[in-house]
Amino acid sequence: MTNEAKLQNTVSAAKPQKRKIASLDKRKARAGWIFVLPFLIGFLIVYLPIIFNSLKMSFYNLQIVTGGGFTLEWVGLENYEYALLKDPSFVQTLITGMKELAFDVPAILLFSLFMAVLLNQKMAGRAAFRAIFFIPVILSTGIMESVEGQNILGSYMEEASGIDDGSGQSAASEIVSVMDIERLFASMKIGTELVEYVVQMINNIYDIVNRSGVQMLIFLAGLQSISPAIYEACRIDGATAWETFWKITFPMISPMILVNAIYTIIDSFTTDSNSVMRYINSVYQSTDGQVRSSAMAWMYFLLVMLILAIVAGIFSAYVFYQKRDS
Amino acid sequence: MDNTTSAPKATITKETKNKIVADFERTPLKERLKAKFLNLYFFQQIAWYIFRLILLIGISYVVLYPFFTKIAGSFMSPEDFVDVTVRLIPKHPTLDIYKAVLTELKYGKAFLNTFIISFSCGVLQTFVCCLIGYGLAKFKFWGNKLVMMLVILTMIVPHQTLQLSMFMQFRYFDIWGILSLLSGHASTGIAALDAVLANIKILPMEDAGFALTNTYAPLLILSATGLAFKNGLYIFLLRQFFNGVPDALEESAYIDGSGTFYTFLVIILPLSVPMMVTVFLFAFCWQWTDDFYTNLFFTTSKIVLMPDVVDIPTSLKTDYAGQNMYYAAIRNTCGLCIIAPLVILYIFCQNFLVQGIERSGLTAE
Repeated sequence: MTNEAKLQNTVSAAKPQKRKIASLDKRKARAGWIFVLPFLIGFLIVYLPIIFNSLKMSFYNLQIVTGGGFTLEWVGLENYEYALLKDPSFVQTLITGMKELAFDVPAILLFSLFMAVLLNQKMAGRAAFRAIFFIPVILSTGIMESVEGQNILGSYMEEASGIDDGSGQSAASEIVSVMDIERLFASMKIGTELVEYVVQMINNIYDIVNRSGVQMLIFLAGLQSISPAIYEACRIDGATAWETFWKITFPMISPMILVNAIYTIIDSFTTDSNSVMRYINSVYQSTDGQVRSSAMAWMYFLLVMLILAIVAGIFSAYVFYQKRDS
Repeated sequence: MDNTTSAPKATITKETKNKIVADFERTPLKERLKAKFLNLYFFQQIAWYIFRLILLIGISYVVLYPFFTKIAGSFMSPEDFVDVTVRLIPKHPTLDIYKAVLTELKYGKAFLNTFIISFSCGVLQTFVCCLIGYGLAKFKFWGNKLVMMLVILTMIVPHQTLQLSMFMQFRYFDIWGILSLLSGHASTGIAALDAVLANIKILPMEDAGFALTNTYAPLLILSATGLAFKNGLYIFLLRQFFNGVPDALEESAYIDGSGTFYTFLVIILPLSVPMMVTVFLFAFCWQWTDDFYTNLFFTTSKIVLMPDVVDIPTSLKTDYAGQNMYYAAIRNTCGLCIIAPLVILYIFCQNFLVQGIERSGLTAE
């Protein structure tokens, strides 16, 4: 920092000379701007008007004129008022959406960390398992997701076998019956909420596996970047695998947990399978629902921003950063 | 047991001038095997190995099962869906569904169009995200952090929020009203001023703004500016990757007289091929199966794309008992046909996917 300041000073002091030669730092800064220029242009020309418009629309009433074109009428906060007070199911959907988020995010994080640790170990067929686990990342998006949404075939085929892939609606085909497990754990004095959570997680395993592909990749990358020397030192000192995980792997990977938590929250509240998103979509499709859906979407967005800020705040207080000498 | 603890005796004999033969009294094979395999550590290892294998196979099964059901259903004939004894293996296997889907649903056209879009968008996105990621990683300029924040912002705002205004933006494409000003379609709200401005007709336009919907332009514009689907993620991944590339490489190139951009093209890009393949794979596949942007920007059915393929072919329309099930099987088959090219691509590229991420040296700083 001080060096840069000095350099800048010398440059400005050397101004009276005949030719101005930009310092290396300045030239590099200019090159940096050129590299990010495509994004900046796009952001200013395309994205900013889109965001601005969307925000503006939510305060307007839009009427599409027959024969092309549309008229806008300022209605103030009416769309927001409608969504919060008059719409019968928006607030309810929002609450269920938040509940889903609270359930999904820890489940996906736990699962992807566990799988990443497992897939990071040396074993026969590791490449094959990795290839299989990343299939959903590539294939189960967009069209496939909407095809899967109306898929009654899968649940029909497994009725007999009694194995659930998460999309089955029939209660009979759940892997573990909640009742049995609860009865088993009730005598062990473990909270029923926890048991229910675990049971639900197992029953939704297909959904969770489907959505934790990118997180698994990020965790794997993080695990790869931990120096093997640390593990070796641990083994020599006689630490067990369990201790090594909690004392070494977990702190070293904690920045990744932060990244993944944020990514998972963003991902799970923007996917089409999210109940709030589905509701907003259905409002958008309905007649004169376009502006209402955009008001709803903005409220939802603000809420999730708030959640993101809270989660990021809490997590970053506990994140361990390895000090690197650079 | 004594044999293992006490040192074995060795008899050393001198055979020739330069050769010594040492004969050890080796521990019997049985004892050695006992020591090796009959301990707790070994059993633990075995138990863990089996547990892990079962777990991994189980989850792989969960991942692959939906594909099994889809494939099984795609070979079934209508009779199989009313037959209670048929579950996964069809009694009357036919290729009717495949034939109908591939011939009647314009699959070929959709394939070609989608391939053009996905490939061009994939290449553009990969290159542009590389540029942006490199700029953010390697150059410390004022506003660097701000740009990164903006990138994250584009990732956070759900695209459904922007559905309507994104459609409007490309239906009436304009750069802050400048284009409509130049073509005489300006609307300032003041009638007198509008009348004067209407005389300016530099650009030929019929409406306020260009109608870019129903062309490839919106997707290409979004890709070329790093704003398309999940591009924030790609930029983030690439930035982390470039952070891990040692500065010395570029510095030596600079000293040899190479410019910044030339260095990027000749030194940095060849280094980052695995990562670029990863990003390209994501971009290509997600664009291929995308139905949000394609439904938004392609309102007429003039350009046939993949989402249009998911339909019931007319020759297979029935109204008998197993109809729902049969239609579900047909839709699933459409899905299978759509992802078939991706599966082939994935088989070839999956090595890169893991390698690219593994070597990225990803750290969250």
